[in-house]
Amino acid sequence: MSDGTRTIRVDHLARVEGEGGLVLKVRGDRVEDVRLDIFEPPRFFEALLRGRACAEAPDITARICGICPVAYQMSAVHAVERALGVVVPEPLRALRRLLYCAEWIESHTLHIHLLHAPDFLGYPDAVSMARVHRDAVQRGLAIKQAGNALMALLGGREIHPINVRVGGFYKVPARSDLAPFVERLDRARDAALETVRWVASFDFPELERDWELVALRHPTDYPLNEGRIVSTRGLDIDAADYEAHVAEEQVPHSTALHARIVGRGSYLVGPLARYALNADRLSPLARQAARDAGLGPACRNPFRSVVVRAVEVVWACDEALRLIAAWEPPDAPAVPVTLRAGIGQACTEAPRGLLYHRYRLDADGTILDAKIVPPTSQNQRTIEEDLAAFVPRHLALSDDDLRGRCEQAIRNHDPCISCATHFLQLRVERA
Amino acid sequence: MRALVIGLGQPAAGDDGVGVAVLERLRADGVPPGVELVRAVEPTALVELLAAQVPVVLIDAVASAAPGEVLELGPDELAGRGAPPYSTHGLDVERAIALARALSPRITPSLRIVGVGIARPPRRATGLSPAVAAAVPRAAERVRALVEG
Repeated sequence: MSDGTRTIRVDHLARVEGEGGLVLKVRGDRVEDVRLDIFEPPRFFEALLRGRACAEAPDITARICGICPVAYQMSAVHAVERALGVVVPEPLRALRRLLYCAEWIESHTLHIHLLHAPDFLGYPDAVSMARVHRDAVQRGLAIKQAGNALMALLGGREIHPINVRVGGFYKVPARSDLAPFVERLDRARDAALETVRWVASFDFPELERDWELVALRHPTDYPLNEGRIVSTRGLDIDAADYEAHVAEEQVPHSTALHARIVGRGSYLVGPLARYALNADRLSPLARQAARDAGLGPACRNPFRSVVVRAVEVVWACDEALRLIAAWEPPDAPAVPVTLRAGIGQACTEAPRGLLYHRYRLDADGTILDAKIVPPTSQNQRTIEEDLAAFVPRHLALSDDDLRGRCEQAIRNHDPCISCATHFLQLRVERA
Repeated sequence: MRALVIGLGQPAAGDDGVGVAVLERLRADGVPPGVELVRAVEPTALVELLAAQVPVVLIDAVASAAPGEVLELGPDELAGRGAPPYSTHGLDVERAIALARALSPRITPSLRIVGVGIARPPRRATGLSPAVAAAVPRAAERVRALVEG
């Protein structure tokens, strides 16, 4: 280009959920600008929650995402329950974990096998990869179907489940309903171990990132619905204090808000963060799979996130089997709920990372206002920084190859643009 | 099993659920022996179903046709219709068929698609619009003719 600037654009990012793009401006060996453009229209969920009954929050927010509706239901229902002073006892607590495991299995498996693996193996899409790597894709589909079926049973249907309510569930399964899943999840767990070995054999571009990693931490469990929000730089807070520590700001190029830790800056949520902060809470089998795959106590190469995600699928199958073995249905599917005015905040671990909800309720349980901070808007700035760190080492690549690597780097964090709007196409401008 | 009829769609997204509505109509009216009716909620489930070694009829909503229009298509005509990727993570019906073909040496010997035209579905709606509801018996008859033929 005449002014010496090189621009690479991805006008429409494929294999991510939702609509977005990327612009990268390079002058010499310096990245001048990197922007994730999120142009999926804003969706105003927070506004449409106002004036609705708090009992509706789990089902309304489940519609935010077709791939992680349980995450929305879980953050919503726990936030509303905290506002109402409701604590859901065992075994309902266990059933919520089981439902969440089904979503992790489904979401992670789709991302690993159909969306991210083609990047590592040099295929433009899953279909062309499947012609050669037939067994791997079939294995992925089989694991995913196990998650789907469990979701359909516990959630009432595969997509946008409808069985979660404030105080518990509408209907709980009998032991006999869950019994057929034991063999299926056992096979899925073996397949997931095979997938860990498969992804661990990929070639990973070199990149080490000094992120602040943020995830839930629970006294005994690998985190799903409960725990304090902790980070690798000393954050240790309750969900009620999230907004005092995390600021959201608008940026002109995105319909998603950018989040940062007050006084510090960007941070990362998701599998890499959960693993770094909770590897000791994984099941023995998942821990061993992580060791065998060459993962240390933490993983700071974003491209290896696919390995961590695969380890989490092993864990989710393991955890689901444990929960099913222990399942004794309660006398009632929900505990009584008394409406009252109040504010409740909750964070849960969506497949893509921490998902924050806050609701302020009137005395009759009407939602006065709501706030939702999805994982992708928390990661958006970090994804831009990953690219700024990665691109200067790869400027010798052609624009097409560089574009491919950038897309892969974005998919490292499995961004869900549909969720983040209030998120992606790649343009690289070189000088 | 002599033939497999698959209804695709999401009833929680208004007219997008028409494939399921047609399936329910066939179930209510009865189908010839050996014809199996299956509902697929999302396209990855479709990949496995398409490996069936019997003729398959797929019923789905088509956003590029006039609301209520009933059409019959072959799998290779999908690209020409410009079916929009409503499915999560971009695995639409066309890609699901391509993936099934990539994965299996032999998929179904015959795949026909009965489509019902719909307007772009809203974010949150249940039930069919009048024009699409009126098309359900016609679409069911078209499916019946295919599996009886």
